[in-house]
Amino acid sequence: MRTSSFNHCSRRDFLSLGLSLTAGLFFSGPKSLLSASFPHFFFAQLKYRGGEWDPNANFVEPIIEELELRTSIDGLKQRRVTSLSDPDLFYYPLLYMAGRYEFEPFTAQERETLRRFLTYGGFLFAEDTLGAKGLGFDLAFRREMKQVLPNYELKRLPADHSVYQSFYMIGSIGGRQRINPYLEGLTIDNWTPVIYSQNDLSGAWAKDRFGKWVNECVPGGEPQRSAAFKTGINIIVYSLTSDYKKDVIHHPFIMRRKNI
Amino acid sequence: MKLDQIAVAPVFPMGIILLLFLLGLFSSLVQYFIVRGRLGHVKAISLSALRLIGISLLISFALNPSIVMRSEHRVTPSLAVILDTSQSMGQSNYGGEGSRLDEARSLLLQGPSPLLRSLSENFEVRLYELGDSLRAVGEEELKGLKASTSKGDLTRSLDQLSGKTSLGLLLSDGTMGWDGSQRTDFPLITIPIGSLERYKDILIKEVKAPALAFRGKELTVDITLRSYGYSGLTVPVLLKDGNRLLTAKSTRIQNSPGETTVSLSFTPEEVGERNLSISVPQQFGEELGSNNTVSLSLKVVRDKIRVLMVSGNPSMNYRFMRTALKNDPSIDLLSFVILRTPSDIMNVPLQEQSLIPFPVDTLFSNELKNFDLLIFDNFRYTLFLNPLHLESIKEFVRSGGGFAFIGGPNLPEEGRYRATPIGEILPLRLTGKEGYRRSSSSGVNLSRSGLTHPITRLSSDEVDLSSFWREMPFLDGINLFEVKTSGSVLLESSDEIPYPILTVSDYRKGRVLVLATDYSWKWYMGMVAKGKGNYGYLRFIDRMVRWLTKDPSLEPVQVTLPEKAGLIGQEMEVRIKLREEDATGNRRSTVSLSVFSPDGSRMMTKLKSAQRPGEFLGSFVPEKAGMYKFRVETPAGHLEESIIITRSLERLDAAPDHEKLKEISASTGGKYLPRGENLLREIEEYAKRMETRFIEEKRFSVWTTPFVLALVLAFLGGEWYLRRRWGLI
Repeated sequence: MRTSSFNHCSRRDFLSLGLSLTAGLFFSGPKSLLSASFPHFFFAQLKYRGGEWDPNANFVEPIIEELELRTSIDGLKQRRVTSLSDPDLFYYPLLYMAGRYEFEPFTAQERETLRRFLTYGGFLFAEDTLGAKGLGFDLAFRREMKQVLPNYELKRLPADHSVYQSFYMIGSIGGRQRINPYLEGLTIDNWTPVIYSQNDLSGAWAKDRFGKWVNECVPGGEPQRSAAFKTGINIIVYSLTSDYKKDVIHHPFIMRRKNI
Repeated sequence: MKLDQIAVAPVFPMGIILLLFLLGLFSSLVQYFIVRGRLGHVKAISLSALRLIGISLLISFALNPSIVMRSEHRVTPSLAVILDTSQSMGQSNYGGEGSRLDEARSLLLQGPSPLLRSLSENFEVRLYELGDSLRAVGEEELKGLKASTSKGDLTRSLDQLSGKTSLGLLLSDGTMGWDGSQRTDFPLITIPIGSLERYKDILIKEVKAPALAFRGKELTVDITLRSYGYSGLTVPVLLKDGNRLLTAKSTRIQNSPGETTVSLSFTPEEVGERNLSISVPQQFGEELGSNNTVSLSLKVVRDKIRVLMVSGNPSMNYRFMRTALKNDPSIDLLSFVILRTPSDIMNVPLQEQSLIPFPVDTLFSNELKNFDLLIFDNFRYTLFLNPLHLESIKEFVRSGGGFAFIGGPNLPEEGRYRATPIGEILPLRLTGKEGYRRSSSSGVNLSRSGLTHPITRLSSDEVDLSSFWREMPFLDGINLFEVKTSGSVLLESSDEIPYPILTVSDYRKGRVLVLATDYSWKWYMGMVAKGKGNYGYLRFIDRMVRWLTKDPSLEPVQVTLPEKAGLIGQEMEVRIKLREEDATGNRRSTVSLSVFSPDGSRMMTKLKSAQRPGEFLGSFVPEKAGMYKFRVETPAGHLEESIIITRSLERLDAAPDHEKLKEISASTGGKYLPRGENLLREIEEYAKRMETRFIEEKRFSVWTTPFVLALVLAFLGGEWYLRRRWGLI
């Protein structure tokens, strides 16, 4: 039995669905009703005890719209809210975890589930939307990671990491705030199952019901927001392609574009 | 008679015999003194003497005397005449005047004084043929002997003759096995046959080549040529695959006799068993042409399985499949994932994108043949590939490539591919109703074909196997296909009306697989979620790739051939190994071996179980040169292989080796005697030194003759008579 749930459908969603259904009757193409109706990608947001698990409630739709506009990935504009006891956890393409404040420690069972999920191919994108190093969410998240995967540690991802070039060639991370000019990650062999940001990417993505940005991006303004979207798309593409961009065939192209 | 001809062998100790004699003497003296008073001195002495002689004769029985007769005799020496009948003795001699064997036969049987007859006058002659083994033959068989066997082993033959002959005579050209050891059992006289001076031949003496080569990797074959009589000549050395010339190189022969080494390099392009030949064209005047060619088998395998994977978009299916393939060190993966379609909008300049152009033309017009497996993963190929590319894919599969077609929502609609080359090679067609269904999840069930197919048969226990697949997590989306008659469904959906999930088929030389879902990755993560590990998914992907690329490790049976090419008449043994999951039980009846000769007729074979479960030893005896095909059948499938049986004259160095004959005779204490007028005399003179004599000794026991017994009775009876006559009784 599934414990996850879809958020309520918005008016915008309803209109989109109606238009799609109508279009699907007359047109067929790469994003026909058949294919577009089945998303390959969705956010599964982890709900935990304590702290604030959902600091940017309206971040999903803008980033998914951008994802669908720029890439071949079909996405679901509704997120799934899940917990570490969710039996479907292992089927989620991207486990998203965000927060501002310190949260309660995971139970031993939850840690074991998360360890197994991450060790066997699951992917977690976590972000500290407060951006206070060593405090609040940052403190609790690092504590939990040490408990879950004690033999690995969160490290700054090097500039040639696949996540910086999985779709865009990223020069800056972006976000609502500029805490770190890099992403951190926990890498097992060639795969980084945990990527961590303190720049509040989802804060930069979030729009209100009228389509206005919820937050200002400081200090970089709109270019910083744009970079946050690019970083978000790269993280999603990385979660679905792993280190694909490290394949030999991509190497000369990437070097050329970096002017190396 | 002389005293030294008398021998005694006392039956009692001499002391007792002497004591008895003294007692006899004493009793005779006592009798003398008693009787002398009554009969007088003369008569008393007569009676006592008779008694003493009689008693002495009786006591002498104990000495067991015998007469020894000695006579000296001369022993006729035994002579083993060994005639070499190996193949080299069949070569023409002295420019075509019969064979070397004829020369040897002529020496033994013909002429005014045939050697064999002359030898028989002074020797006890035994004839032997030295072929594969030493065999005693009669004189009448000599004419019928043929030089057809392989090189004989002289060392072993002399071991056999040890103690049975006093002298050996070997007629040979010297091409035989000899370990060079010193021997003392009997001397061997060697008579050289043939002439090296007039012998002309070029032969391939040695070929150093690996039995296994990797496709696309250059390999070198080192060839050693030996030549006689062609000093200064330049000859070409050819390397062929069947009738196709692979490479050639000319080499100059420096010395005669001498050896030249040539290295030929080439790059095998086709996987499989290659039947190669190395040859040097036969030169004018060459005695033997058959040793100018050597056949060899070369197994060409992939160094890595080269896989081209194209995915329609980034997805979980892509990531898990790519990771599984990438983590396999035997797979060389080139994967492309369509990150954006023509309808997607790019908002940044080119240098800010990491996307590379999809090299469709390069891949599908030129490079496809360099891959072993093509995977389309949820790929709407109609957007990217033109009809020529599709035709190229069909040709790729037709010529032996593997093609995996993974489903998903992006597959082209039925009408877009039905009449295309892809539609032709796929064993399925879309139903045309829904295309892709995700309204309900489906489990999978193993079909009857799936029970035995190597991709899905992950265990030998059918119950375990079926439940293993049934337990796999449900698939959230499947493509609704209809199976063509060419398809074999291995897994089907658990719906009331099952849909094919995993279907395989052969298309000409290639293989095709359709996985009608983009959710097979759930078999990985779902099982991890259940705490059972990722074994099932990884093994499934591994087997899928290996079956599609006809990897030998997944064949139902593996056969190990002998490393060296076989020879006619020699038993060839092949080792047969069943696949691990089919090896349980080890029942011989489950495996059969059929061997077909070069003319297609079926051969007699033997098949027995080896020590390890699932392993068997098969054997057959080839009767002629050529390629023998054999077929191993098991319940899980069959395998066909071939093996080359070479003409036995291949690699034969038939040049006379008289130096070896000198070495042999010296090692045995014999003599090397070249053919000449004094040959017989020299043999006889040499044999005299070997002459042996013996003394015959005959013993006649004295007491076994009735005369001696009568003599004793006569003395004792005479004494009794005189005593009676003279009134003493």
